[in-house]
Amino acid sequence: MFLLIGTFVTLTVSAAYSAENETGAQTTSHVETLQAVVAPFLTEHCVVCHNTRFRTSNLDLQALAEDGSDGEQLEVWARVVGKLRGGQMPPPGRPRPSDHNLNTVTTTIENYLTDVGFHRRTDPGRVTARRLNRVEYNNTVRSLLGIHSSPADEFPLDDAGYGFDNIADVLSVSPLLMEKYIAAAKRLSYRAVLGEPLPEAPSLLARYMGKRSHDAIDALADGTILPYSIRGALYGDHLFPWNAEYEFRFRAANYRRSRRQLIASGLLAPEARDVPEPSVDAVLTEAEKLDRFMEEARQSQPPVPLVATLDGKVFREERIEGSNAFGYDRGEFITRLRVDAGIRHFRISYPETANLDDPRENILADGRRVLYVDYVDIVGPFDPEPNSPSGYDQIFVCRHRPGEHGEECAGEIVSTLARRAYRRPVTQSETGPLVALVRQAEANGDGFEEGVRLAIQAVLLSPHFLFRIEKDPSVNTVRALDDHELASRLSYFLWADMPDEHLFTLADEGRLSSPQTLKAEVQRMLADPKATNLATDFASQWLQLRGLTRVKPDPTRFPTVDDELLDAMLTETELFIEALIREDRSALDLIDAPFTFLNGPLARHYGIPGIDGETFQRVALEDPRRRGILSHGSVLTVSSYPTRTSPVLRGKWVLENLLGAPPPDPPPDIPALDDTDASTSGLTLREQMEIHRTNPSCAVCHSQIDPIGFGLEKYDATGAWRTHEADTPINDTGTLPDGTSFHGPAELKQALRARTDAFTRNLAEKLLTYALGRGLEFYDDDAVKTITDIAETDGYRWSAFINAVVDSEPFRLRRSEEYQP
Amino acid sequence: MTLQRSLPRRTILRGLGTTLALPFLDAMVPAFARQLSTGDTPNRMVFVYVPNGIVMNAWTPVTQQPITPLPAQLPRVLQPISAYRNDFSILSGLTHNGGRALGDGPGDHARAGASYLTGVHPKKTFGADIHAGISADQIAASHLATETRFGSLELGCEPGLLGGNCDSGYSCAYSNSISWRTPSSPMPVEGHPRAIFERLFGPDNYTTDPAERAKQQQYDQSVLDLVLGDARRLRQTLGSSDQHKLDEYLYSVRDIETRIASTEHETDIAPPDIDRPAPGLPNNFQQHVRLMFDLTTIALKADLTRVVTLMFGTELSNRVYREIGVSEAHHGLTHHRGDPGKIEKITQINRFHVEQLGYFIDRLRSSPEGDGSVLDHAMVVYGGGISDGNRHEHHDLPTLIAGRGNGHLTPGRHVVYPDETPMANLLLTMLHHLGIREESLGDSSGILKHLSDV
Repeated sequence: MFLLIGTFVTLTVSAAYSAENETGAQTTSHVETLQAVVAPFLTEHCVVCHNTRFRTSNLDLQALAEDGSDGEQLEVWARVVGKLRGGQMPPPGRPRPSDHNLNTVTTTIENYLTDVGFHRRTDPGRVTARRLNRVEYNNTVRSLLGIHSSPADEFPLDDAGYGFDNIADVLSVSPLLMEKYIAAAKRLSYRAVLGEPLPEAPSLLARYMGKRSHDAIDALADGTILPYSIRGALYGDHLFPWNAEYEFRFRAANYRRSRRQLIASGLLAPEARDVPEPSVDAVLTEAEKLDRFMEEARQSQPPVPLVATLDGKVFREERIEGSNAFGYDRGEFITRLRVDAGIRHFRISYPETANLDDPRENILADGRRVLYVDYVDIVGPFDPEPNSPSGYDQIFVCRHRPGEHGEECAGEIVSTLARRAYRRPVTQSETGPLVALVRQAEANGDGFEEGVRLAIQAVLLSPHFLFRIEKDPSVNTVRALDDHELASRLSYFLWADMPDEHLFTLADEGRLSSPQTLKAEVQRMLADPKATNLATDFASQWLQLRGLTRVKPDPTRFPTVDDELLDAMLTETELFIEALIREDRSALDLIDAPFTFLNGPLARHYGIPGIDGETFQRVALEDPRRRGILSHGSVLTVSSYPTRTSPVLRGKWVLENLLGAPPPDPPPDIPALDDTDASTSGLTLREQMEIHRTNPSCAVCHSQIDPIGFGLEKYDATGAWRTHEADTPINDTGTLPDGTSFHGPAELKQALRARTDAFTRNLAEKLLTYALGRGLEFYDDDAVKTITDIAETDGYRWSAFINAVVDSEPFRLRRSEEYQP
Repeated sequence: MTLQRSLPRRTILRGLGTTLALPFLDAMVPAFARQLSTGDTPNRMVFVYVPNGIVMNAWTPVTQQPITPLPAQLPRVLQPISAYRNDFSILSGLTHNGGRALGDGPGDHARAGASYLTGVHPKKTFGADIHAGISADQIAASHLATETRFGSLELGCEPGLLGGNCDSGYSCAYSNSISWRTPSSPMPVEGHPRAIFERLFGPDNYTTDPAERAKQQQYDQSVLDLVLGDARRLRQTLGSSDQHKLDEYLYSVRDIETRIASTEHETDIAPPDIDRPAPGLPNNFQQHVRLMFDLTTIALKADLTRVVTLMFGTELSNRVYREIGVSEAHHGLTHHRGDPGKIEKITQINRFHVEQLGYFIDRLRSSPEGDGSVLDHAMVVYGGGISDGNRHEHHDLPTLIAGRGNGHLTPGRHVVYPDETPMANLLLTMLHHLGIREESLGDSSGILKHLSDV
């Protein structure tokens, strides 16, 4: 595509040369200035990264710098001047040219481009037909059919591009995925019409068992292994198919040595026994011996409270008494309760363990836990309600009961379904074949409902459902998106879900694109619970938090970090970001907002006193060390290795995700660290890395990356605070190449926050990329600048950014594929 | 072509869920299935891919001559499969020039994955315009799609890495998959054993009443006809890049239609007594890999497919193999810069991988077929697109080939090919041994000799 523009413009250039001597002379003088002024600038500031060897961001300016100008390279010049004007290049941390120098250079390039006719019209870009990704598919079928399930969890992973998994050009359809679509469409259509088939009798629906240690290799033939919790908790999500009663059957252990054993091993002073010693020559029956044994065990230590909850509501409380037999004598706890269909979160745990200063107090010498919930079985359904699928009325809009459907309803049902599924008004030629399917089933004697079921199956497989299609305008033009296309873009941006009825109504009435309405809608949508998507989908991808499910901190070095703590870290960050967005704070608060969300275990991991219990609570942070995302365990763990921290990974994380200035990738032929030069044993990590930087070809990049990582070195590889590495105090000072120095993370965060332009521009780019579903090109530079300018006028609030994205030309407009700007 | 509906699923399921050994496979394939006599036996092509390179001086047998028998004492990494020395050969000297930088800067892992079965140098991009080549397994699949239910299976033990730029400016698509249906369509891998099982043998609400099945298929066909019509009409109104997306969709639907049509005539189906297999991913690597091998063996034996690729991990895999006492991540370790401690750990990982291969070889060997075993009628290549992981080298790739390939392979040898012999020659030759007479593949320069001593 760009080749086309380049060639087109080059032809213009040659035409200009031959036709107009005057213009030719002007152009030549610009070329001379380019050689005189710009080329040295490139050599000094740019070629150090953008050269043939590194090819950073796939840009090689070496030839341009040496040669001065090249008629074929107009697009490259446009890229260069765009980045320079936007202040994005040179990147943060590199020496900045003087404003005067920068101005001369950018003006020269711009004049050159104007003179050769490289003047851009507005180019809003275009997005290719965009397949629903997994998250969007799950949300959409739930909203469309009212069914609780997550069929896309079994689809192959979406390919990602530009940091996100919703990029139109990258998402593809393969035969494997189509198979899954077909199977899902069938299952969903049955569920939507008939509901989940009710079994004849209750049965074991699911078995969940907790991992027994960090590295346990457990396997259940018919069940699921849940995350490891040192504190012995068992928690997970379960899909309850029907409104009915279900039984939770679980076993809980509290292994305690008896008092006699404690006394015998000298751990407890002898006291008067509560159980009288039998006289020496008494003969006890077996039953009496057993009673005695049990009584001793019961009296050994106080029972421990256990709580079982479903979606946060308590459904069972127990006090688990000590027992040598790991609780198997106690039997299962069985609770039957009524549950509404849906995906629900269960948790069975010992709340007091959240307040253990060291969770290893719950682990015995042989590695087994003292307190733990072994497994939970879910049995049911008991006394189910008559099976009526939750979304039935959404589909059967004529409101007839099963068996009483009227013939004329087929058209109405089908067109409602198709309109909602395709997210736009539908035509007779589209609904006709669907109605024909309904008739086909009826003709076969299978009934009206089966016919509608078939129509649902077809709709779910139609490309109009699976793809978001926006028609191109005629060749070489730009058009505004229509209201329905806008509604889809809005809902998938903010909710990763189909438009709701309110959006549909506004679109049907043609009122959506008016500025006031649009703003009001954005506000409404941000206040809706579904906007959590911005935290759990957008932000988690932007900040690469999905890596948290893959990390495995070494248990020998970090024995108190279990799966439950890693889950807690993710929860903290998601709650934090959601709060920032919902409270419409400045986006920069991400770096140092004075609060976070913690529970007892996570607070203890961070060394923050005064927070107890399992549930998360909002915590005001006096200490600036724990403020902001760079102090979150999630980020710190994701940017570390399993056994140690990595200043390079952390520096890269900050540069890439917060400042939009990813460092160049290492070249293929890195010379090996000369091991004979300095023994690497006995040196701190920082000292070892300093050796890196004495080599100038390494220092060129590492002087950008490493200082940031050093500033965070007091957070270990799982985010806990430490002051020493082995016996050496950690040095967390640093100086960025542009001279800014800092001591410790609080000052580092201030330095980062001062880079407002880079941070806000990066956020604008990420939001725009996610909202559009395509990577940004150089012609989007203007839009990005506008977004940050608007956001600045409103204190960089999240709503300002989002509104500015929604108002931007790339979001509202679309051009044809062949387009000459 | 019949489908093995009469397999007693419970037997399989017990194997999948708890133990690692499948019960005696022969009992699973009913006698009426395929008449696999010697002349009739199909050949199979299986690729088992390991990422991040191998410690080559613990892999390559020391030799002075181009063709020698495997030594009595195998190098350390191969020792776990010493018992199968008569079932495999080691090929040295094969190269993928496409994996090298060739002016594109860093990104060796992405290139290794993308070039491994295509023999091409992939385009450096992390955006939408990914471009490699058609991989050998997909060439085979497209020829065999009419003969087996599945043209091919793409399996993997590690879900793809997320995030668009996985390796120095290359899209994750290059390192997540080694199988390419078209130069711009990488095939996603399936990692869930239960899901693979259901693909092979049908979902749990499968009905057996022939009339009911026929009607279901008729409905399914009507539904697909409808959406195909939608797609064709839609395609005409779209620009060319949108059309490309629709083309992927259309191809995939037609692929399914073909498969549905080919199973239309099956009527002899025993009642399925299905319990759904264990949900989710197995808890540890060995368990997971062996399940994948079990499923592969069944699929080959039942002739559901003749082409399988299995990735132990994606390129750049950072899996932690704590079960063998290694706490550091794999990829990080492979940049050892000479540290003997790290080299030892990588060697342990390499050995661990080879141990799993041994399990597979044993499975295939123990599956009687025709006048031999499945292994006699298969070509199994184990290796990867990087030799020395520290330096990211793409020559002298670690390549093991097991099986007799219907007489086309002579195992038990170490063959050293001249430097820079394209690995693509091996791929091309394997296609020929499947009866697919392509002229070239990627950067191939001809047929690879000396795979057999005939």
